[in-house]
Amino acid sequence: MSISHHLTDETLLRYAAGTLPAGPALVVATHLESCAKCRARLLAFEAVGGALLDALPPERMEPDALARLMARIDAQEAPAPETAPRRMPDFPGDIRLPAALSACEIGPWKWAGPGVRMSRVTVPGGGESGAVLLRIGAGRRLPEHGHGALELTQVIYGSFSDIYGRYGPGDVSETDEDVDHQPVVDASGECICLAALEGQMLFKGFLGRLAQPFVRF
Amino acid sequence: MTSASAENNALGPQALSRLVVVIATDRDRQAFTWLYRHYAPRLKSYFLRSGMAGNVAEELAQETMLQVWRKAALFDPAKAGAGTWIFTIARNLRVDYLRHDRIRPSGDGEMPEDEADDAPNGEALLITSEREERLRTALQTLSSEQEAIVRLSFFGDKPHMQIAQELGIPLGTVKSRVRLALAKLRAALDGDK
Ligand SMILES: [Zn+2]
Repeated sequence: MSISHHLTDETLLRYAAGTLPAGPALVVATHLESCAKCRARLLAFEAVGGALLDALPPERMEPDALARLMARIDAQEAPAPETAPRRMPDFPGDIRLPAALSACEIGPWKWAGPGVRMSRVTVPGGGESGAVLLRIGAGRRLPEHGHGALELTQVIYGSFSDIYGRYGPGDVSETDEDVDHQPVVDASGECICLAALEGQMLFKGFLGRLAQPFVRF
Repeated sequence: MTSASAENNALGPQALSRLVVVIATDRDRQAFTWLYRHYAPRLKSYFLRSGMAGNVAEELAQETMLQVWRKAALFDPAKAGAGTWIFTIARNLRVDYLRHDRIRPSGDGEMPEDEADDAPNGEALLITSEREERLRTALQTLSSEQEAIVRLSFFGDKPHMQIAQELGIPLGTVKSRVRLALAKLRAALDGDK
């Protein structure tokens, strides 16, 4: 898979630090699955975290803390049971769902305007911050996301194009409130992507608009 | 343990990575004790700085070290140093804790990892520790403003917008400081390519 659109340093840093909301973090994890280049860059930022950790002033642990931990190790606690099996919407052909989504609850495809279907992706414990799978017909415009501080869209199948170029499987589009990029699905076929916004109000707005009969194209 | 033993503990990054390898291969409790004395107090410090209460920070530090024991075989010294690997475990626990407001039993929440290609060896360990050493040096060359923002990005739970408000500087300035700092750090790590 040749990937030409990647995540920004800033977003990778926030992912490395663990401070991205659940929805955007899910899109980032999906991109990382398919992109060795971004995985290598992430490792660099995680190494920053490691360096900062090593340099922190030690805080005193409770006197018996190590002994209690050793007792837990001796007790050989059983590993936690696996999470409940996911539900997945009906996918065309043999599209594999990204592994990053395996712990998420994935809703059924819902009509969200002409040529657009949407499935809500809920991250366990993610609260209001989730993502959506979008399935959009050839030549259709992607629904307007609204204007979030951060908007991430990972292509899973098919392709779309905007002013920055063409996005195929594995590519990620990262934009913010300053960008009006108007992505359109390529004529060759339908496109499935995973999208998330930062900010729950904006995300609600996104879903709200999608649920309306007159999605703006 | 006594605080004196923690402070006298002057293990370098390579020695710490070797301890994790020994824990993985031999289930060596003495190695784990040394590693614990170095990292548990720093992990507590990390969780406290992330805004956790003292008892939560202590518990999360314990949980991180328990996962270090259990997952030691997943540590790939060719990929990252011990500090980096342990940081990612702590970060995942912090994310989990904030999402669930509780600690999940260890063993789940695992991100997909790249498979280790080869058995751990001394050479890989040396290359990784040299690369990470360059990064540590680069961290020290950041301006104090750049360093402060990188630190806040890791230990705070704040978007850059909020960091900008707290420091009383425009968002654009925060973003450009982050970009400059990251470019410097990345250049230090990419030096071996
Ligand atoms: Zn990438």
